[in-house]
Amino acid sequence: MATKAEFLGRIRAEMARTPGLFTVAAAPWPARPGERLALLRRELAERWPATLERFARELERVGGVFHRVASPGEVAGLVADLARAGAMERVVAWAPGALGLDLAGPLAARGLSAVAMPEGDVAASERTRLREVAAVADLGVTGVDLAIAETGTLVVVSGAGRPRSTSLLPPCHVAVLDREALVESLEQAGLVLEAWHDGEAGPAGGASINFITGPSRTADIELTLTRGVHGPKELHAVFVEQGLARPRHG
Amino acid sequence: MSEPEVATPLRERTGHALRDPFLQQALTIATTRFIDLRREAFGDFPDGESLRDRARAIKEATLQRLDHHVERLVASVESRGGHVHYAVTAEEARAIVLDIARRSGARLAVKSKSMATEEIHLNEALATAGVTPVETDLGEYIIQLAHERPSHIIAPAIHKTRGQVAELFERELKRPAAPDPEALTAIAREELRRRFLDADLGITGANFAVAETGTVVLVTNEGNGRMVTSLPRVHVALMGVEKVIPSMSDLMVFLAVLARSATGQKLSVYTSLVSGPRRGGELEGPEEFHLVLLDNGRIAQIAGSLREALACLRCGACLNVCPVYRQIGGHAYGYTYPGPIGILLTAMLNGPRSVKDLAHASSLCGACADACPVRIDIPRMLIELRREVDERRIAPRGERAAFRALARLLVRPAWYRLTARVARVLQAPFVRGRTIRRVPFDLGEWTRTRDLPAVAPRTFQERWAALEREGR
Ligand code: SF4
Repeated sequence: MATKAEFLGRIRAEMARTPGLFTVAAAPWPARPGERLALLRRELAERWPATLERFARELERVGGVFHRVASPGEVAGLVADLARAGAMERVVAWAPGALGLDLAGPLAARGLSAVAMPEGDVAASERTRLREVAAVADLGVTGVDLAIAETGTLVVVSGAGRPRSTSLLPPCHVAVLDREALVESLEQAGLVLEAWHDGEAGPAGGASINFITGPSRTADIELTLTRGVHGPKELHAVFVEQGLARPRHG
Repeated sequence: MSEPEVATPLRERTGHALRDPFLQQALTIATTRFIDLRREAFGDFPDGESLRDRARAIKEATLQRLDHHVERLVASVESRGGHVHYAVTAEEARAIVLDIARRSGARLAVKSKSMATEEIHLNEALATAGVTPVETDLGEYIIQLAHERPSHIIAPAIHKTRGQVAELFERELKRPAAPDPEALTAIAREELRRRFLDADLGITGANFAVAETGTVVLVTNEGNGRMVTSLPRVHVALMGVEKVIPSMSDLMVFLAVLARSATGQKLSVYTSLVSGPRRGGELEGPEEFHLVLLDNGRIAQIAGSLREALACLRCGACLNVCPVYRQIGGHAYGYTYPGPIGILLTAMLNGPRSVKDLAHASSLCGACADACPVRIDIPRMLIELRREVDERRIAPRGERAAFRALARLLVRPAWYRLTARVARVLQAPFVRGRTIRRVPFDLGEWTRTRDLPAVAPRTFQERWAALEREGR
């Protein structure tokens, strides 16, 4: 097994063999993403209705369902309706602080079994138990850190109170978003990711960021499109007009 | 040298494929569908062409300072609490993964589709070491149950019918299975769900790795990539060292062209960005994260004749448009990577000798270069490879002799004219209309499956000379 120095040495030795080739400068590092992002946000704030429309259209094109409610208080009712329509009972949700919304109480009041994930550090045994809870749940409710209009994509960042499994293990995923999450393009999403990395207040300190574009799918058997192979079969995005009570972030 | 020589000769393998009517039909349907989807995806994407240029430029610039970007990647991964390992050969890569498996006491490993792990034949090594590897991409799962190899980079099981899959599931999983894709998919979901939750080790490749942030990027449609990187206690990502890219902005450029080229989607369903192990406050995520950087013949090509192939995204677009691949499918190529790019990658990993026949399994029509999202000039490298194969005298003797003779003739106009005249006389007994259906003796191979045009009654040179005389 090679060491780092040996490995890099091999690369450099090859590079040295063809000095003529190596004249082009490396791709420039994107400079000051934070500042550029602030500018972008001001522009986006003016254009958001068109961005939302495009997002909704693209989401539906990839097999997601778009919903729009006026206030955060209406989300629980919508989730309960979706659950009833699909004969689903067990709901897991991100922690209220991460979601910007407390769903457990209102959902329980509507006859569903609802578990909100804890926000702080928990013991390993408890983590295993919570994972099993998510594994048998019918429906998972998460927030959305970025919604990319160009592709109908939901970007979800893991972290405290925002487990990866909520949007992955249950067969139905409901994602709740507001204006703050909307961006127009992949390019803009890249800028946001860079700003987060550059120290701009990001949504969470987790190690996993997922771009979700429609329900889980496969075409591996005779190219027949089939939904829900490992991830959720159903994907809903709920847009909350009045905004969510989550901490503002870059 | 990472792969054993293929036992059956290329001719036999292609013959096999050509005589399999279902395979022929499946290949036509699948590749045609992929071509249409890709065309539509780029059709209503005005930025497509410029993004392809940009993607290629990023790859080029990154390769030119590969040492710098690899160093940066290593530093970022380590600062996120991950471990980086360096494998010069396939053997070393296997040993590294086995060592990680042993130290973590792993018995069950779940895998997300990865060509790099196929390339180093990791599954066999894991099984020998007492770790059960389970492929979780539906196509790969089917292939693994059937003890076969993938036939397409993107759709590994396109050569199987639903009926065959149902039979396979009934036999291997000992449960009833209806020959219906929906029902079969549901069975796989159930079977694999438990495996995801029970596995100790998650093994993936990487579509990209972002140097600046220390992020390994996995693209899947099914969600298995997310499972494998979130649920097991240890995650190992194995990746060719050329997969590093500088920044998140660069990543977005590649994402915009990758799925469109592969399946015609704007974006695959899941793009997972993984930066190191589980962090404080997270409920899930691996306790350990390992990144294995693989050389296996790649580094020698930084300055080599196959350098361009290091830009490959493994999207499969060049397979779908290749007239040879469309006829013979992935298995006939005999190595991990099929299709036109596969020939180059095989030469990169196993040396030019391994492709002495394969180098000719291309019509050099150029469709692959047109389809490639990063505009890799595959035909140019194939021609160079043929020359190299020839120079090393590993091409068949008869073929070399024929081309040597031709080369002499072509530089001696008088001899050439004479030969044409002689040929006209000699061919007479074999000509039917304007073609030769069958050439006698050993040369008969040429006309076994095609006709040879006869030497014209008057050659172009002769007609030209006549015209010139009239003109005067
Ligand atoms: S060579 Fe180009 S078209 Fe072929 S798999 Fe690689 S990136 Fe795709």
